[in-house]
Amino acid sequence: MQVDFTARELTVKLVYYGPALSGKTTNLQAVHELVSEDSKGRLMTLETRDDRTLFFDLLPLTFNSKSGLKVRVKLFTVPGQVIHSATRRLVLQGADGIAFIADSQRSETKANQVAFLDMQKNLRDNGLDPAKTPLVIQFNKRDLPDIRTDVELDALAKRGREPVYKAVAVRGTGVLETLIGLLERSWAQLETEHGLEEKFGLVPEEVLAEVRRQLGAVETEEGPQ
Amino acid sequence: MSEGLDLNLGDIDGLEQVIDREALAEVCRSFFDLFGISIRVFSRTGALLSDVHEEQAVCRYVNTLSEGRRACGTTVTEVKHIGATDGVVVHPCFTGANYRVVPIEYHSRHVGRFVIGPYLPAERTEIPKTLLTVDPNIDADKAIAALGDMPRVREETALRIAHHLRNIVDLILFSSHRAHLTSEMHVASVRESYRELAEKNDALQSAYNRLKELDQLKSNFLATVSHELRTPLTSIIGYSEMLTSGIAGDLNEEQNEFVQTIHDKGDHLLSLIASLLDASKLEQGQLTLNRVPLDAGQLIRSVVTTIIPNAKKKGIAVESQVEEGVPTVIGDSIRIHQILQNLADNALKFTTKGGTIILGARATEMMDDDGGGFGAVLMAASKPAVEFRIEDTGMGIAQDQVERIFDAFYQVDGSSTREHGGAGLGLSIVKRLIEAHGGSIRIESSVGVGTTFFVTIPEAPDTFDL
Ligand SMILES: Nc1nc2c(ncn2[C@@H]2O[C@H](COP(=O)(O)OP(=O)(O)OP(=O)(O)O)[C@@H](O)[C@H]2O)c(=O)[nH]1
Ligand SMILES: Nc1ncnc2c1ncn2[C@@H]1O[C@H](COP(=O)(O)OP(=O)(O)OP(=O)(O)O)[C@@H](O)[C@H]1O
Ligand SMILES: [Mg+2]
Ligand SMILES: [Mg+2]
Repeated sequence: MQVDFTARELTVKLVYYGPALSGKTTNLQAVHELVSEDSKGRLMTLETRDDRTLFFDLLPLTFNSKSGLKVRVKLFTVPGQVIHSATRRLVLQGADGIAFIADSQRSETKANQVAFLDMQKNLRDNGLDPAKTPLVIQFNKRDLPDIRTDVELDALAKRGREPVYKAVAVRGTGVLETLIGLLERSWAQLETEHGLEEKFGLVPEEVLAEVRRQLGAVETEEGPQ
Repeated sequence: MSEGLDLNLGDIDGLEQVIDREALAEVCRSFFDLFGISIRVFSRTGALLSDVHEEQAVCRYVNTLSEGRRACGTTVTEVKHIGATDGVVVHPCFTGANYRVVPIEYHSRHVGRFVIGPYLPAERTEIPKTLLTVDPNIDADKAIAALGDMPRVREETALRIAHHLRNIVDLILFSSHRAHLTSEMHVASVRESYRELAEKNDALQSAYNRLKELDQLKSNFLATVSHELRTPLTSIIGYSEMLTSGIAGDLNEEQNEFVQTIHDKGDHLLSLIASLLDASKLEQGQLTLNRVPLDAGQLIRSVVTTIIPNAKKKGIAVESQVEEGVPTVIGDSIRIHQILQNLADNALKFTTKGGTIILGARATEMMDDDGGGFGAVLMAASKPAVEFRIEDTGMGIAQDQVERIFDAFYQVDGSSTREHGGAGLGLSIVKRLIEAHGGSIRIESSVGVGTTFFVTIPEAPDTFDL
């Protein structure tokens, strides 16, 4: 998080992490399509080869708050291919929260695990404590055959500490829920660490309500699955 | 938290940080060509980044008048000081023209602004009083005529033009920013990968150092233990010798046989310990050679003599083939003998009944360089040498084992090792002794057919003074 007092703005960095081809870039594309014009900037894709991310994608979002402070959210994706570990570490620097995009296909279970371990290592290498980094998990590609079942994921979600979302990123399903869930978690952590409400008059509920409004998400009582 | 970022991912503070100046200049130029309106682009801090303008006739005229010049200066200063947070500002000039100041935002941050104008709003139909009264000496007809040259634009059109221009600048900014980030990432990734490699190298280096230390410890240990073993062993051998010689009274046949066995096994153990000591001394480079001129033929004959009894027992023929004119070798007699003896022992050990062992020597030449190096053709000089040859018709050595048999304690796997015994030290000692003499060893072998070891020792070592 960065605060610029003269510009009255606060910048939060969120990173989409996960194995190669799990749909990180697709998530950002979907967010870009779904979000209203005035909240979003251009989606920037840095260098790709055969549609595979080489450096990162970046989507800047801006939210207004009642306190007058501008809340800028920068969404990044990392390159998932194993060889780009150094780049992933660079992109992960200073992350305020992570959405781990897992591939639901059974065959990708191992790849998910490897990427998750890689993420923990890279967090530690960046001086971040994995246990304290806000994290949500998305199981993407729910539309494909031979995936891990809902029952299985629900059982896993109950056991784990992180909220789990199911998504079909190519259709935009579950994408905003994941993002909002990530923002909620990350904001709660920032509030604990920096006392944003006291310092800047940023009331968490108000900020998140505004975020939901601007993201065009209908408020429901339903939490993550 | 973003503190301590090496790379400020995705943020820029000012236009000037990333924008492609040439692209910006080109856009401004074509804007001017299209509309005839002056345009200036400023960074957030007010530095002029691009400027395409043409002095208007009316401006030129009022600047010839002292009051007019002052009024003009004031207007320009006012326009310059319009804050970035004021939004789009339309600033009027006393001539009736307007300046339009448009902030440039990027990722919802102010990064600069552009100013278009002066232009005359097309809606304005009368000559403003402020122009005609700006200076006591103004010539109204001249001023009005000059004003006629000013480009005319409807405010609504100016708004659209400004909007359009802002989009173009935004695009240039976006692609410039992307190029900027890409190159930053390139550099950062390379640096990061390099750092990673350097770390791995360090880890390898320290692991290597640790292994070297352990190796050293092992050598020291071997040396100490061998030494400590030798003293009591010499006593055992000595006393058993005395017993067999009858000093302590006569032994019956059985007793004599037992004591003889103790003596033989003790001898064997002693030679094993001697090998261990040699190996560790050689490893630590503590070996000193006692060099003298040696006759190759005589060396061969002496080795043949020592193996003949055992060869006969095993039913193996031994031949020696020493060619004419073999030069004298300068070397340590005991060590060279040890080399040949070890190889001959191996030949005998790994050859079965009915086989043949040939020990030979011939004159040859060797390069004083490893050969094949840079400029070797010009630099390497050949020198006379002796090639010893120990050939057997034994079991042979598989190609993938050839490198490894020179390692200390290494023995080619299988029952043969157990059958034949030995510590696996012979060849490692042989190799080091040959190297100490500046020589080389080479193997030709074929499994089931036989093995030939070639040992080349230079006639005189490079730094030998008799
Ligand atoms: N069927 C299906 N395909 C998907 C879904 N989400 C993404 N994909 C496809 O998966 C492929 C990879 O998606 P990307 O978003 O480029 O993956 P990535 O995680 O950014 O991959 P890297 O950049 O290599 O790390 C593309 O062909 C997407 O169309 C989904 O929900 N269902
Ligand atoms: N002439 C040969 N024919 C076949 N194999 C050989 C021959 N010489 C050496 N070897 C192989 O190389 C291994 C190493 O030889 P080396 O002389 O170092 O040890 P060793 O003879 O087994 O024991 P030591 O010499 O210490 O008594 C042997 O165990 C054997 O497997
Ligand atoms: Mg990608
Ligand atoms: Mg041997």
